[in-house]
Order: sequence, then C-alpha cells, then structure tokens
Amino acid sequence: MARSRRSRRTLTVIILVVLSLSLISLDLNGRTHSVTSGVKSVANDVYAPLRQGTLDIISPIGDFFAGAFNYGSVQAQNEQLQQTIGQLRAAQAERGFEDNQLRQLMALQNLPFLQSLTTVTAQTIDEYSSNFTATITLDKGRADGVDVGYPVVGAGGLVGQVIQSFHHTSVVRLITDGQSKVGVTFGPGNEYTGIVDGQGPSSSMTADLVPPHTPLYKGEVMFTSSLDAAAFPPGIPVASVRSFHTPAGASQETIEVDPEADLGQLAYLDVVQWVPPT
Amino acid sequence: MTGRSMVRVALVIFVVVMVQQTVMIALRIGGAHPDLLWLLPITAALLDGPETGAIVGFWAGLAFDLVLPTPFGLSALVGCLLGFVTGSLTAAVDPRAAWLKPVAALAGSVAADMLFAVLGAILGQQQMVQIDFLAVCLVVGVSSVVLVLPVNRLMRWALAGENNRRSLVSADAGSRAW
Repeated sequence: MARSRRSRRTLTVIILVVLSLSLISLDLNGRTHSVTSGVKSVANDVYAPLRQGTLDIISPIGDFFAGAFNYGSVQAQNEQLQQTIGQLRAAQAERGFEDNQLRQLMALQNLPFLQSLTTVTAQTIDEYSSNFTATITLDKGRADGVDVGYPVVGAGGLVGQVIQSFHHTSVVRLITDGQSKVGVTFGPGNEYTGIVDGQGPSSSMTADLVPPHTPLYKGEVMFTSSLDAAAFPPGIPVASVRSFHTPAGASQETIEVDPEADLGQLAYLDVVQWVPPT
Repeated sequence: MTGRSMVRVALVIFVVVMVQQTVMIALRIGGAHPDLLWLLPITAALLDGPETGAIVGFWAGLAFDLVLPTPFGLSALVGCLLGFVTGSLTAAVDPRAAWLKPVAALAGSVAADMLFAVLGAILGQQQMVQIDFLAVCLVVGVSSVVLVLPVNRLMRWALAGENNRRSLVSADAGSRAW
C-alpha cells in the first residue's frame, strides 16, 4: 500500500517535471515561443486591471501611513521641489539658445535627430518584478504602438529595450540587466566603438571590445552607434566613463561606465517607435 | 486533492500573486524584495506531504511565470521540486516542532532562489546569476521566516478539503496522514 502510494507520488512529480521542462523548451524555442508569449499576453491583459484595482485599494492606505510617518521628509521634499521649479524656470529661458546649439552639433556629427522619430510616452507600473532580472513594466503595449525591440529612453539617455509586448502593457529590459548589450560610439569624431554590457542591477556596467590604450577621459559620454544592424537608433546617450585602465597584456581596455539616464527616476519614459533598417 | 481544495488553492495562489506583485515588490531592501512564491509549496508540503507540495508548487510557479520576465515554466519546475523535496525531507519530523516552519521556510526559500538562478543561467539567462546573492538570500530568507505563518494559515484553509481534513486537523494534534 505504502509502496504504491510512493510510486504514485514519484510518478506525479516526474509528470510535473516533464511538463515544466516542456513549457521551458516551448518558451525558449524560437518557433514555438509565440505560444507561450500568447498565453502570457492573455494572462497579462487579465492581470493588469486586477493588479491596478488592488493597487488602487492598497495605495491610499500605504500613502496614509507613509505620510504620517514621514511628514517631516515630505515637507522637506516639497521645499526642495519648489526650489527645483525655480531653477527650471530660469533654465527654460536659456534653453532656446542651447537647443539651437544642440541641433547644430548633431548636424555636424551627422547624427539624425531623435526628435524626428515618433515616441510613445508611457508610465512605469512595475519595477524589478523579479529579483533576478533588471526589468520594468510599462502601461503601454501593442495596442498603443509599443512593440518588441523598441528602444526606451528617459531623462538623460537610453533606459533599455522592450523585450515583451502585451496588449496594454510591455516589459522593458534595463541597460543594467546582465543580458543587455548596446553597441556604442565615442571619441572626438565618434571614431571609436565598443559594447556597453549590463552586469546586473547591483554591479557597474562595463564597456567592452575597446582596444587597449584607446584615448578616454572620465565622464566621456558614449552614444548608440550607427553601425549596420544596430538595435538602437544612433546618437542616444548610453553611458559615461567612470574609470578606465589597460592591464598589462590585455586585449582590451577595462572600462567601467555609469548609465546616462537616471535609472532611479523611471516614472515616465518614452518608447521610440524605431525598427532596425533591414 | 479534492475539487474543493483545488479551487481554494487556486484562490490562495491568486491572492499571493497579487500581494507579491503589489506589496512585496515595493519592499525593496538592498535591491531585493521578499518572494512569497516559494512559501506556497513549502507550506503545502508541510501540511499534506510531498505530492501535494509538488502539485501546489507547480501551479503556483506557473501562475508566477505568467507575470515574470523569466523563462516560462522555470518557476513551475523549481516550485514543483521544492514542494517534493520539502515534503520528503520533513516526512519524519514531528510536525508540532516549533522550529519546523521557520527552518523549512528559510532553507527552502534560499535553496529555491539559488536553484532558480542556476537553472536560469543554464537555460541561457546569464543575468540571473549576476545578482547580489547575499542580499537576495538574506531578504528572501528572513522575509520567508516572518511570512511563513500567515501563508501557512492560508494554505491550511485551502487544503482543508473532505479527504485532507483528517490529516490537517491531526497535524495540529501531532500526526500526519502520509
């Protein structure tokens, strides 16, 4: 009796493991990925409003307690925001001149205007939903013109790329994610190229495939490259150099970079409707 | 599991997914947040044995796979194995032992996170091992110890079907049906 129960239990687990492995292989296989992606898409369409409803119920309670406990810091934040508004007003007056300068510089470097590309503004509804990936979820999906592969930009530069697009939501892989690789150019005439590699959310990004002793300076900005088959439109600021050195005998320079975009402020982002030229 | 238990387990899974995706992901400490998923197979296995643990782990993992950006089926695989192993390893332990649930929650959650990351990396998701493991294990482990009791209460309610009631009630009295 106990033996038959044990063998039934083992059989159940074997079936579940085989089922799990089948689902994983369906998901990872390029030809059948659309099946799992379709299931996820339907589930996300059902889940997104439910999640929003739950948040609508929970948020006021959380805000009440957060406000009560952090009244002092909220007041300080308010004063800081007032000060920032004043600074922004002053900066706005100078902006016209700077815009002209920027246009001229971009034309000089033969970079196409990012402004000429259409964008979809989206709100971030989820950040880092898993401990194992640096991803965010946006409130815009296929129905709003957001598709897989589209670059996502925020204040300062490139934020990431859309990796999953559902009906009304989409998932963006941040440039800090370990799977993220962005082709970049830098240097006075953008003559140098490299690849900015994400190393996970808690580690510094690196710029790889840069030949030894390539001239660099701290704070130098790297832009998305205009190489053929690039996954991003050219000219988007990606990262700035934090440190660099060439170890003896190394085949490439060791470069640590920081993201140009402020990845701590991801509330609103622009999805660039751009597909690589075929 | 009876049909009634299945419906209740599905409801518990749904509630836990919602709490995880709304409340838990906002509680980020050192870049990591608590993970309620692993508590479902752990508590199911402690309450009703390895088979139920594996079944609950599979379905809970599948539900999480629908909303996570990691490979579809990976959470289901780890959840199923976690439920089975937890149930098998604790089969001979006195269920009245006060240390059982916290220890199972701590060890199970940390082991499941590690297995999840390693299997993900084997499947080509190298970024899954490029994380701060210490922070993730600490946050997930400690939060699991704190949250195992409420999740266990939910799971006990869910598994209190006609066939399981005797084992569940008797679990309190110090015996198991398996």
